[in-house]
Amino acid sequence: MVFQIVKILKVLLLPMHNLFLDYTKTTSKLSDINWLLVLLVFLLGLSGVAMIFAATGGDWLGGAKQHFYRLIFATFFMLLIALIDLRFWYTISYPFYIVILMLLISVDIMGVTVNGSKRWIDLQIANYELARVQPSELMKLGIVLTLARFYHDLPRWRVSSVYGLLGAFVIIFVPMFLIMRQPDLGTALLVAATGASIVFLAGITWRLLASLSVFSFISITLFVVFGLKPYQRERILTFLDPSHDPSGASYHIIQSKIALGSGGFNGKGFMNGTQRQLEYVPENRTDFIFTVIGEEFGLVGSLLTIAIYIAIIGICLWLSAQCKKVYSKLLILGFIVTFSLYVFINLAMVMGLAPVVGVPLPLISYGGTVLLTVMTGFGLILSAYIHRETKLPSSKYKN
Amino acid sequence: MVESEIHNQISINRRAAILGTLGACLFGVLSSRLYYLQILKSEDYRALSDDNRFNFNITIPSRGRILDRHGKYLAINSQNYSLVLIPERVKDIESTLFKLKQTLSLSNSNITRIKKNINRQASFVPVLIKENLDWATFSKFNFQTPDFPGVIPQVGLGRFYPNNGLFSHTIGYVGTPSTKDIEYDKDPLLKQPSFKIGKTGIEDSADKLLRGRPGKLKVEVNASGRTVREFPVDTDAPVNGKDIWLTLDSELQKKAAELFGDDSGGIVVMDVLTGELRAMLSMPTFNGNLFVSGITQSEMDKLNNDERRPQYNKVLAGGYPPASTFKMVVMLAALEGGFIDPKDKVICSQKVNLGNRTFHCWKRGGHGPVNMREALKGSCDVYFYELSQKVGIEKIASMGRRLGFGEKFSIGLKGLKSGIMPDPKWKKLKLGNSWKVGDTINASIGQGFVLSTPLQMAVMVARIANGKDSLTPNLIIEPNLKKFQSLGINPSHIAFVQKCMLAVCEEPGGTAYKKYGLELGQLQIAGKTGTGQVRGISEQERRSKLRRDEDLPWKLRDHNVFVGYAPFKSPRFAVSCLVEHGGTGSKRAIEISRSILKTALERDGISNSKNIKSTITTNA
Repeated sequence: MVFQIVKILKVLLLPMHNLFLDYTKTTSKLSDINWLLVLLVFLLGLSGVAMIFAATGGDWLGGAKQHFYRLIFATFFMLLIALIDLRFWYTISYPFYIVILMLLISVDIMGVTVNGSKRWIDLQIANYELARVQPSELMKLGIVLTLARFYHDLPRWRVSSVYGLLGAFVIIFVPMFLIMRQPDLGTALLVAATGASIVFLAGITWRLLASLSVFSFISITLFVVFGLKPYQRERILTFLDPSHDPSGASYHIIQSKIALGSGGFNGKGFMNGTQRQLEYVPENRTDFIFTVIGEEFGLVGSLLTIAIYIAIIGICLWLSAQCKKVYSKLLILGFIVTFSLYVFINLAMVMGLAPVVGVPLPLISYGGTVLLTVMTGFGLILSAYIHRETKLPSSKYKN
Repeated sequence: MVESEIHNQISINRRAAILGTLGACLFGVLSSRLYYLQILKSEDYRALSDDNRFNFNITIPSRGRILDRHGKYLAINSQNYSLVLIPERVKDIESTLFKLKQTLSLSNSNITRIKKNINRQASFVPVLIKENLDWATFSKFNFQTPDFPGVIPQVGLGRFYPNNGLFSHTIGYVGTPSTKDIEYDKDPLLKQPSFKIGKTGIEDSADKLLRGRPGKLKVEVNASGRTVREFPVDTDAPVNGKDIWLTLDSELQKKAAELFGDDSGGIVVMDVLTGELRAMLSMPTFNGNLFVSGITQSEMDKLNNDERRPQYNKVLAGGYPPASTFKMVVMLAALEGGFIDPKDKVICSQKVNLGNRTFHCWKRGGHGPVNMREALKGSCDVYFYELSQKVGIEKIASMGRRLGFGEKFSIGLKGLKSGIMPDPKWKKLKLGNSWKVGDTINASIGQGFVLSTPLQMAVMVARIANGKDSLTPNLIIEPNLKKFQSLGINPSHIAFVQKCMLAVCEEPGGTAYKKYGLELGQLQIAGKTGTGQVRGISEQERRSKLRRDEDLPWKLRDHNVFVGYAPFKSPRFAVSCLVEHGGTGSKRAIEISRSILKTALERDGISNSKNIKSTITTNA
């Protein structure tokens, strides 16, 4: 028992020791960081600052300043996480997941209701509010860490076994169910899709994949028909026929398409977007920030932004290919899948290709939690890459 | 184990590549969507974006003024001091309204209206609290603005009618367009808050001319409809309404009102040479300004309950028996038809029996033997009873029409009545029975079925005075003088009738005789009195000799009528005056007419007949 505790403490304290006491190691780790990735991520964050500045009509205090400081902080946070030994992350994967699950349950019990859904929880010490956390956001990290470890520990031949499937199902479904109850359909689907991608990457057989796809397609259809809240269904209906109610729910989509379309090839110029200035596009500081890019910088600006996203995703795919351990690979791929899904869903929504769901454009949209989550994710990606040679406990189960 | 790990790595890499390809496809879809939106459909979306952005605000033209012949204002746009409330700037609407209610003594219905407007409009659109504030209240409020955040004193243009309602019947008034007006008239101006359209009188009939055309102001609006920017370059200036000049003379009108005092009736002064109306007044009158700002119920009740009917335009829409003033028509019909020698005498013994009916002369004891001249001078009814039977109703009615009875004149106003110039055909059509001799006899003294407006009586006397032209009345000054048709009556007959009318006013024994006449030196007045019976006179009353009109209730007293013109030698102005229930003898009507003719002549600078010609040329 005592031996166990000492072992856990040793693992937990090791990264701190390495980080602050072993300078040579830290320096070599720093040089091993993929700085191009860091640069591109930071660049997108900076463009976010500029776009928030434009979206608020040139008000530095309207969010741009805050986004800038958050970006600086999050970048350092990302580098810190990158330098922490991968064994640390490996060890805390499961406890982290369980803590977040408990937080999600407590949200359900005593969460703060904002805009009709319970997503937040106040962390208080003696009535002093420390922070307001959104456990569903943390779960995006938790699900990747947990599944990566789950499949790392699982021998490959058991991936498609009953144990493997059931384990993955429980890991994915429990948080998804809790998040859906808040209700936050977007995040729930994002968590589920990330989980499913990791299951696919881990090597589930194609036959099983096909039957699972059919099964989930049927259950999703049934869910849409019977299980959705009226406003959620309205969003989907609006998406299918955007012209049926121009000033109601589909107003967002129409106005956002007008903003993008009127931008043309090279846009109306920085701070010159009329749709943006005249407040026709709602939420253009957060979820609809891409409309500002499209309106003010046109096709050129939009494609450039997309190109940076593609570059980031490409770099991460390459990083994952450099790693040999299942844990590292799945960690990197899992995060990059979450990140890509964010980007896809947000862009498709803004362009009128997907229903309006509250998914921000990562790194650019205003919003602290998402920025921090995404940057933590990149930190973990970098950590997995830097520590690609570090030994992790191999599978408990023999092949 | 190593082998399986390598196998695992390859598997994950392969599957990552599959996902990567899938992602690349999705990005391809997104990029082509961007190409579609931003290149292919760009023009459409740019147009939609401009649709969002730009709006055209209506700018309101200023309404044309109405002036009298000398350029005095009859209807103007005055500064309208009002208070508006901008809901979004008011912290507590309830308490602000409560305070306003006390300070301005607003009624509950006003408060309800304000609340309704606040709820209906966007919160930055001002809501009118009260308009037409007096300067004292307005300036007081300017100091109190800090106590009423969100309540703003405003100066706009409102319609104002000076002259204390002297012209209310003619000019009319403006008011807020009704739902029906808005439906019928698609002019966008009607939908502007606080825009007023003509409701009655000239304001109504010449509304299009006075209104002008709206201007357009291009503005940029944001999503909530608030104007962000104006574009003065892309702006159509409003075309202001045209001024309208009336032929009326406000001094003469004022004099007429003074002369009427509290009496009820109407007066028309008409230029005998041009047909211009110099004064046209229906009494009592009302203050048109009351209607502009929305009349209160108590004020409305006061107007409606007045038995003298202030809102009713007696001059144009009243139907009155012309009474004895109609006798000129019978005379001219007889002379033109050659039915009688004017020197022939008829003996008046106060009554004439005809079948089972008895017709009376107004004069007790009768006039004795009278010829045509004496008959008109003394207004002998019996003479005309006899004469009319010889002439017949057809000829009389035809002469009546020639002199303007039964005619609806076009003077640029709505609501004129044609009155009734009866003949057998009319009676058959309207009442379904045939014409009786008694009807002719009644008509011969302008009673019975004959109904006319004071304007028609003025036209009649003006045509007689002019003698040559078939004058029609004119209210609005036109650039060119009207050409009139020929009257087509033998000038010697006209001259004879004129002399008879002179006798009425200037010879002792004439019903309108007054020793000093017009009190304008040598200038003489010619005319004819009339007493319009309001009720039948019973035989008993006639015998009792006690009937005095003054003892009767006001409503049952006779109407006073006088028509005349002056100067006799070269006629200039015709007048027709009706005093409702003024009593027998036409004293009031004669007094008023004589004074008004005097004033009219003085105002035209005519104190003797020599300089008439020159004044005509200057006035034309």
